[in-house]
Amino acid sequence: MSILHIKDLHLGFKTLTGHVDVLHGIDLDIAAGEKVALVGESGSGKSVTARIVLGLLQETRTARISGTVQFDGQDINAMSARDRAGLRGTEMSMIFQDPTSALNPMFTIGNQFTEVLRRRDPKLSKAASHARATTLLDEVAIPDPARVLGAYPFQLSGGMNQRVMIAMALANTPKLLLADEPGTALDVSVQAQTLTLIRDLVEQNGTSVLFISHNLGVVREFADRVYVIYRGNIVEDGPTDALFANPQHAYTRALMSAVPRITGAGLPEVPEVSDDFLAPRISHGGAL
Amino acid sequence: MIRTLRILAANPLSLLGLILVCLITLAAIFAPWIAPFPTHNGAVVDFLNNNRAPSARNWMGTDLVGRDIFSRILFAYQISLTLGVVVLAIAVPIGTMIGLLAGYIGGWLEMILMRIVDVFLSIPPLVLAIAMMGVLEPTLTNAMLAVTAMWWPWYARLVYSIARGEREEGYVLAAEVIGAGAGHIAFREILPNCLPAIITKMTLDMGFVIIIASSLSFLGLGVQPPTADLGSMVAEGARYLPDSWWLTVFPGLAILVAVFGFNLLGDGLRDVLGVDE
Repeated sequence: MSILHIKDLHLGFKTLTGHVDVLHGIDLDIAAGEKVALVGESGSGKSVTARIVLGLLQETRTARISGTVQFDGQDINAMSARDRAGLRGTEMSMIFQDPTSALNPMFTIGNQFTEVLRRRDPKLSKAASHARATTLLDEVAIPDPARVLGAYPFQLSGGMNQRVMIAMALANTPKLLLADEPGTALDVSVQAQTLTLIRDLVEQNGTSVLFISHNLGVVREFADRVYVIYRGNIVEDGPTDALFANPQHAYTRALMSAVPRITGAGLPEVPEVSDDFLAPRISHGGAL
Repeated sequence: MIRTLRILAANPLSLLGLILVCLITLAAIFAPWIAPFPTHNGAVVDFLNNNRAPSARNWMGTDLVGRDIFSRILFAYQISLTLGVVVLAIAVPIGTMIGLLAGYIGGWLEMILMRIVDVFLSIPPLVLAIAMMGVLEPTLTNAMLAVTAMWWPWYARLVYSIARGEREEGYVLAAEVIGAGAGHIAFREILPNCLPAIITKMTLDMGFVIIIASSLSFLGLGVQPPTADLGSMVAEGARYLPDSWWLTVFPGLAILVAVFGFNLLGDGLRDVLGVDE
């Protein structure tokens, strides 16, 4: 059964002058334990899709959402705001671009960990949460968990904070993890470690992942399946190997050629808009 | 807390501010015991010693009815500090709540609340206070009321501007994503990040509240005789300048020292707590 099932998702925003359509009928499926990437340029609709899945955009009064978003068999759009909030932090969680700003600078890591763990178990004692946090930090290979728990976010490096974020996001063993370009604010070597860490942990826990990125290199190493999104439409999708071996859609090809080479052939040229980019969707299959 | 104090004390000016504030506070609390003439706070007359220049008996001289000015200054500090503390204790929570609501929730609530704040801010503070005191009776309580009414909008605006910025921070989104409610985010995530700025402004404002309260008394709209107040003491003595200079100079200096102390301390706190204007 699929953990996340999105069918014909439309999103528009009401503005002072009228109506702006952002998503034009997105279809996307994630099976249990599957790692799926959603790839596209800035403004293509990646992050708003994530916010709809989390049930955050439904609270925005100017947003007009239609279509089906089923999480674990429940229709997110039909739920009450309270029920949606109940899913967040327990059944689904998220990892952000910049781990340091995602942690509140006024509280210690230990304090923030307790709050996260109490989402599942409101009566959890301070000592028990401390013990659990220590184990979790140990799993993300933090060498001195006791010191980190007593520290404030700004006293730790970006890489350390990223590990803390990952440990927190997976602390309540969610069914779905949303990763919004994790680690793009960090340097490349730390980013690679981060991805390996996330992959190992989600495979261990059987967590499904929706991985949002514009970086095809990262996606290729991480995801089982890939959706390419352009201007609110899915233009191509399929298993990672098949899609990278034989990209069919003009936009996917443009994205792939846009990755700068380390060998230095100059910056690639990508057209801003092209009629080919608006060609119909191509699917390589592979979805449930 | 201890760490903050230690860093603060490393800067000589901040340390001076801290010492002045401590001295003034202690002097105010223990005024009845340390004042050489404890009864001189009220309606006491001693015409044998009236209008004397500073001497060994009266360090800062005596006023027109023979009361010891040094003793009266100590008691006046009591009133000034009480007024400052009460005004801030009422104005800060009100302003903070309004700023937090407007800044975090936004929408029409933000429009309504901040426009009300703008209306208050558009009236010059002293004019508002004088108008209020003109309608009400000039008593200490009413003086506090008037000063409070003109003070809360500044906190509303300060907290609003911070909350507006913090609302977009990653950790607020992160809290939303783990299912935190609006109350939790406003009070447990955003408010703690406003505290350094609030504390700094409160320290600086103690000085300003003292000045405003003294100005009201100077105009005869605040604390009424015979109770000692720095502003009314300056006003009384002003007619006898420059001959009986001690009548005005010492109460004036007392205001200066208090305001100077709170400002130095506030500036120091601002640097230590990393608040930018």
